[in-house]
Amino acid sequence: MKQRANWWYGGILGLLLVTIALALMAGTVWLGPRQLSVALSDHGSQAFVTVFSLRVPRILSSLVCGGSLAVAGALFQAVFRNPIADPSILGISSAADFFKLGGAMLLPWLPGREWLMALLGGLVALVILTSGRALADPYRLIIVGVALDATFVGLQQLLSSGATQVSHSTFNGLTWADATTLLVLGVIGLFVALLLAPWANYLKLTDAALKNVGVPVKVIRWSLLLLGMTLATSVTAVVGAIPFVGIVVPNVARRLVGHDYQTLIPFSMLAGAWLMLAADTLGRTVIVPSEISAATMMTIIGGPFVIILLQRGRGLHGMSIR
Amino acid sequence: MECQYVSYQYPHQSTGIADVTGTFPAGQVTTIIGPNGAGKSTLLKLLARQLPVASGQITLAGQSLNEYTAKTLAQQVAMVTQRHQLYDDMTVSEVVRTGRLPYHGLLQTVPAAEVTPYLATTGLTSLADEHVQNLSGGQQQRVWLAAALAQEPAVLLLDEPTTYLDVHYQQALMQQLRQLAATGMTVIQVLHDINQAFRFSDWLWLIKQGQLVTQGRPEALRQADLLAATFQTPIEIVDVPRLGPYIVQVPEASEN
Repeated sequence: MKQRANWWYGGILGLLLVTIALALMAGTVWLGPRQLSVALSDHGSQAFVTVFSLRVPRILSSLVCGGSLAVAGALFQAVFRNPIADPSILGISSAADFFKLGGAMLLPWLPGREWLMALLGGLVALVILTSGRALADPYRLIIVGVALDATFVGLQQLLSSGATQVSHSTFNGLTWADATTLLVLGVIGLFVALLLAPWANYLKLTDAALKNVGVPVKVIRWSLLLLGMTLATSVTAVVGAIPFVGIVVPNVARRLVGHDYQTLIPFSMLAGAWLMLAADTLGRTVIVPSEISAATMMTIIGGPFVIILLQRGRGLHGMSIR
Repeated sequence: MECQYVSYQYPHQSTGIADVTGTFPAGQVTTIIGPNGAGKSTLLKLLARQLPVASGQITLAGQSLNEYTAKTLAQQVAMVTQRHQLYDDMTVSEVVRTGRLPYHGLLQTVPAAEVTPYLATTGLTSLADEHVQNLSGGQQQRVWLAAALAQEPAVLLLDEPTTYLDVHYQQALMQQLRQLAATGMTVIQVLHDINQAFRFSDWLWLIKQGQLVTQGRPEALRQADLLAATFQTPIEIVDVPRLGPYIVQVPEASEN
């Protein structure tokens, strides 16, 4: 499996590089390799402005968002011991979106408002999700999560009729300031995720078995949940809720590189980054000059994927729903 | 390991453990036997501190179990339960390595080489990279035993360890527990098979309705009346050639 994993790592890195290059070139104005190299050297050119002010922050943001969402999904799946658990399906992201909107209306003066409110929303959803019996029952978890998601989407729609800011969950128009926020939060979060990856492995054992070997189950469960929630809500704070990345990527990654989270989390990071960038690049090039948002692209890809994953039991590949 | 007036009652239930006092001799295999619902597994969970003692105390090496931290307790007491479960795919080596967690920091990775001796002791060396879910019931049981041994415990607790094993593996496991006890380990198990318990144990605990009926050496407790009273069923002890005394449940007078 190690050898095979290495091949896939090589593959995804190659894909990433190719996609980054394509994303730099593609857009309303197509820049060939030559024009791109001119843009790199001539800082006064229009091409330079297009690439560095518009495309680079957008590419960096997509990469960090994709990596963050995929890792958040992997962490949620480890903690809930459920292969389709993910912050977007469980209502965390929509709660963050709703709180972000509420914050824009009620606390417009608050510094770091979008991030703080999104985090608060995520936390509220997480508490609701884990306070009842959903933790002990995988089906209840998903149903409660879907209900939570629908509730917050509904509440957001209710609020948005009077709001000046409405989230479209797109990378369009992202500035360097947005990209920097995402980069800082994402890189810190992803680094911590790499550090805590062994904890996700521990949760493959029952709580009783973990207590037997002196592992503080509650500490590791809540650390991973809060980390996953922070990663997902950081994306929501800047871009908006983007569904399915956290389900699609880790489940495909399990097939490719195996179930060891120390391999799975870094791979999901890279694969998530690639998927998000590919989806966004495709979304902004297929119907130029208009574009399809990243959230819509992921819904089109992710929805059918989850249906196939669940309808074909083999898709879960050894990870059982309790 | 010792129990002093240990009691525990499940919330909203009448079952539990009441006022149990007794010892588990070091370096010996002790088997707890008794009818269903007698509190055997509950007692084992109390010994592993998976349940909190309501009154009385359990001591290990003269120290109350409550004084141990989670980590130091895990270095002293290991438990193999009836049915272990994995929520996700793990290899044999990965599972056994979790047994070394009490000796490492939470963020440290346990080196694979560290579990080599425990894989060897349980005959799992060639299966180290196999996925546990692909193994037979007997092999899986050995994996959990290896993980428990990797804890280097002074006390090894086993809850019905023979349940999913065929006759051959049952015998092999019992022999292995004897060998472990011979190294000084305190082995405490719950068994349903009375004859197995009498045959492979150095010390027996008979419990009924949450109370200790008696404890002692198997020879001393091999009494039809005592066993009949404990299990509430007519019991006879017959002599089987080449095997010796064998405990059988005989039909009640009204049965045909």
